[in-house]
Amino acid sequence: MDLPVQAVWQGMINGLALGWIYVLMALGLTLIFGIMHIMQFAHGEIYMIGAYVVYYLTASFKLPLVVATALSMVVMATAGLILERFIFRPLKEDWLSAVVATTGLTLILQSGAVVVFGLYERSIPLLAHGPFNIAGIMVPKDRVIAVVVAVVLSLFLYLFLKTTKYGQAMVASAQNPEGAVLQGISPNKMAAMAMAIGCALAAAGGTLAGSLFALSPFMGLPPLVKGMTIIVIGGMGSLPGAFIAGMILGFIDGLVPILLGHAWAAMGPLLLVITILVIKPQGFFGHAE
Amino acid sequence: MQNSLSLMKGFGWIILAAASIAAPPLLANIYWTSVMNMIVINSLMAASLRTIFLIGEFSLGHVGFMCIGAYSSALLTMKAGLPFGITLPAAGLMAGLTAILIGYPFMRVKGIYFVILTVVTSESFRLLAYNWRSLTGGTDGLIGFPGAGSLSIPGFAQIDFTGFTEYYYLTLTVVSSSLFILYRLEKSNLGFTWITIREADKMASAVGINVLKYKVINFSIACFFAGVGGALLAHSEQTLSPQASSVFGVMTTIYFLVYMVVGGKSSFIGPIVGAIVLSFIMEFTRPMQEYQPMIIGAIAIAVVMLLPEGLASIPAKIDKWRAKSLNPLT
Repeated sequence: MDLPVQAVWQGMINGLALGWIYVLMALGLTLIFGIMHIMQFAHGEIYMIGAYVVYYLTASFKLPLVVATALSMVVMATAGLILERFIFRPLKEDWLSAVVATTGLTLILQSGAVVVFGLYERSIPLLAHGPFNIAGIMVPKDRVIAVVVAVVLSLFLYLFLKTTKYGQAMVASAQNPEGAVLQGISPNKMAAMAMAIGCALAAAGGTLAGSLFALSPFMGLPPLVKGMTIIVIGGMGSLPGAFIAGMILGFIDGLVPILLGHAWAAMGPLLLVITILVIKPQGFFGHAE
Repeated sequence: MQNSLSLMKGFGWIILAAASIAAPPLLANIYWTSVMNMIVINSLMAASLRTIFLIGEFSLGHVGFMCIGAYSSALLTMKAGLPFGITLPAAGLMAGLTAILIGYPFMRVKGIYFVILTVVTSESFRLLAYNWRSLTGGTDGLIGFPGAGSLSIPGFAQIDFTGFTEYYYLTLTVVSSSLFILYRLEKSNLGFTWITIREADKMASAVGINVLKYKVINFSIACFFAGVGGALLAHSEQTLSPQASSVFGVMTTIYFLVYMVVGGKSSFIGPIVGAIVLSFIMEFTRPMQEYQPMIIGAIAIAVVMLLPEGLASIPAKIDKWRAKSLNPLT
């Protein structure tokens, strides 16, 4: 097959950017699941609303994109705190009810978004204009900035969990809730923190995606599905696993449509998941259950 | 008191059957007949979803198998020219076989991981239909495949199912016999094995039950009926669209789950009650279309928080309350 080099490069860059957006989703999901044992099916909606908040802040209040993104992350973190307190905390014991409640929340938030934001496609200002020219290959600046932002946010999370007191408390609470309680770590406080951080990351991911592509009330579903696939492939609660799985899924989305066609790109994640489950059911870096 | 409860149950079944048989001539309205058709299909989907719950798993991918069934039946009638009497079971078999193939790897994980995998599966199937232009028509969807047509039952008669009312009765027959099969399966040895696996899977494997095999059997049977439901849906609508907002999107799968949970997942009648009640609520709120998912979502959250056993547990609750008020010492 004779493919222009430029198209393949373009696919790889797009894949990289998409992959890191998926990683941001997966990190939030795995953090929330690790502490509360609730799979947040409404996380895609948090991602979507986060992007819309940025849209309104930049369009109506003419705020610069950086400020708007930071504000949107704070707003969504607050929303996460409220959701945790009133919906997730009472349902923590029963995972079936939690699945129903979070999927019901998806319905509410999504149709709410259709009502409030409308069905028009909107867009956030671009992150940057023009391409870099690296050895004759054009690399769009906005993709590069998206990747850098996502990497920096992921690194912050990693450092927070590894080095700070609160981060260590969260890890402890995820590893052994009873032991953590005996050390004076409140599981509810940790759950609230996990929700806040997870929702802030989702809002950041939504903003990046909204600025690279477009906004719509239904934009949350694909990254949610990809984020959950990442968790299965990389192993629940594993940050390196999430990074690797995110890259793989991003490249599947970026390169496979160009090389093999869209049908293969659609089946790629499923086939990958099946292969992983046959070889190593707990994921790349997951702990055996 | 137990007696009055079972009497009430019997009455409920009779009223349900009578209402569903008498509805089309009484309503005499194509619109309402097609709504009833949809409700009947939804009941089958919710009841077969509950079959998976018998092994303690939860599927959010039921609509994916419905999609497989719908497309298989539509393509078989369209490209191979087979009659509906053959493509209906073929659609079910196609969905069931797919379920067997992916069931073996998927059943190695439990709980929320299985839920995630089923979501991924159903989205992948939808995207496959969306992107496989040469076979499924891609984004344009599939239009112009024949309806049920006339069905010849050997040694009996030739029945024409082209009209809405006739098709409704066909759906009702297929769905009620499917529900009967599901009910008998649940009460059979196989069903008890499934419940054993749900209650204590390690114990089950210790006494020599091949847990993986029975789980895959369960999953494939449930998906078989999802495929049948998909075929019934395809030939009543006669158009298929793989858009995210279409009937094959994740929204529908959430609806099935909500039907099951709102109706009550612990009894066989529960999901059927849920499907009927919520479908009617959706029908009556159709003027406020954009708020519909919100209403369903709010009902789902309210039910799991306030009435975790679902609507089907209300008669038993009333009965208990009456027994208590009549005889406060017990």
